[in-house]
Amino acid sequence: MLKAFADSTVPREDRVATIHTESLGLHQQGRWLFRNLTIQVPPGTFVAVVGPSGVGKTSLLACLAGMRNPTEGAVHYRMSNGTGQPPLAFRRQLGIIFQRLLLTENAPVLTNVLCGRLQQFHFYRTLFGFPAALRKRAFEILHDLGMSAYAYTSVAQVSGGEQQRVAIARALFQEPAVYLADEPVSQLDTYLTGRVLGLLKLEALEQGRSVFCVLHDATLVARFADYSLSLNREEPGEWRLRRLAPEAES
Amino acid sequence: MPAIRQTQPPPVPPLPRLPWYARLNVVNVTFILFILAVGVAGWRMRGEADEIDYLASLWGFLQRFFPPDLSAPVRNQVFSAMVETIEIALLATFNSIVISFVLSIGAAQNIAPKWIVVTVRMMLNGVRTIPSLIWALLAVVVAGPGPLAGVIALTFYSIGYLGKFYSEAFESVDIEVARGLRAIGADPIQAFQYGLWPHAKPLVWSYSLWMLEYNIRSAAIIGYVGAGGIGLQLHAYQEFGMWSRFCTVLLCILVVVTLLDFLGETIRRRINRRIARRTLSD
Repeated sequence: MLKAFADSTVPREDRVATIHTESLGLHQQGRWLFRNLTIQVPPGTFVAVVGPSGVGKTSLLACLAGMRNPTEGAVHYRMSNGTGQPPLAFRRQLGIIFQRLLLTENAPVLTNVLCGRLQQFHFYRTLFGFPAALRKRAFEILHDLGMSAYAYTSVAQVSGGEQQRVAIARALFQEPAVYLADEPVSQLDTYLTGRVLGLLKLEALEQGRSVFCVLHDATLVARFADYSLSLNREEPGEWRLRRLAPEAES
Repeated sequence: MPAIRQTQPPPVPPLPRLPWYARLNVVNVTFILFILAVGVAGWRMRGEADEIDYLASLWGFLQRFFPPDLSAPVRNQVFSAMVETIEIALLATFNSIVISFVLSIGAAQNIAPKWIVVTVRMMLNGVRTIPSLIWALLAVVVAGPGPLAGVIALTFYSIGYLGKFYSEAFESVDIEVARGLRAIGADPIQAFQYGLWPHAKPLVWSYSLWMLEYNIRSAAIIGYVGAGGIGLQLHAYQEFGMWSRFCTVLLCILVVVTLLDFLGETIRRRINRRIARRTLSD
């Protein structure tokens, strides 16, 4: 299954990062979603972000992705060589699975997956498509997710769950340092849910890529996550980071 | 056990009268104004050229039209002029597609900053207010008579329309997809190409085909002021009173335009069906 990721062109050291948040706080529509959020997430960690609807999980991911500016505090990504980068400078290394998926619906499934690697090329290199080797690898990932029959079908013509798998494939294909996944399995059946979260878990374990994943199902959190980060609606400063799995020996 | 009593239904109130001013909606008012204007215009026209016997002059005119002159030299002349007309339209449409594409990105509110949008839109509005025949007159003055003037004229004329249509096509696309691509590091051109263009493409092509169709029609007339194409022929035959040849040209235009209408309609309907199907499955 991991054959697709084994021959990565980028050296591994450049692809791991520690996520630092310092007193992160976001104020929106008259209330704080979270405050004083200070965490350090080392490479290869699977963090499940939990909490009731509307508590600010998506907004937290948006702050981590640099798509929203926090009201206070800051996020930065520290590479293994010691350099730190704010989210916007680090965005080439962020694999985001959006809650709304944000796929290009009129484009084929395969093209959508390939879009995960746009940031590796100048625009004139992708003006007339992608190199054959990349197309092959994108297809392998689609195959892993049971979507190989739809490579040339336009996204608008596949089902919601299939679209979600396309979004997941796009993120996996990107081989990012950090995955930011907003409810990536909300439309998948039990089997596919296990498969997708298992793939993300393997990415964390074997490639040292961190995963931030919004999840609602407590059993999935217990099964896949190393930490759970729960946000608190009543007390925005009272977020809780809980260890779930024993620390891996270092 | 309580007996079921039949009660008298309440009396129906009288039908309320609609006050006269309640009928003054925008449809009725504009229709009345239109009819009044027609009346005034008709009254002012009355009495001009009363002495001419309309029917007789029309009949005489039509007699000179038929039969159309289908002799080989005329046929060849008309045919090559028609080909030139289509060539003018093709080149003008191509030019305007390229230029409008660039301009429309500037005119799309979800892509360009406000001040550029306002500037480009004002420019496009300005270009659109000038009819194709006036553009042709200007082009003939600048480039001299001939098909090149026709190409220049129709290029400018089409930019006004295509620029507007393309920008509307871009604005109809959900910009969030392109923003999502930007969030994972794609540059603006990639975000446009892969996040926005696939949605706008069928619409943009449908408008372009419409413009081509429209330009062939326009190219048939701009020759009248010297801008090449079959209009030149039309003008010459009219000047020399060769009405049977004039008729041949008209028939040729009629056939081509009808064919084009049918073909364009069919193709565009198929493209639109494609767009509609995709929107439904959202």
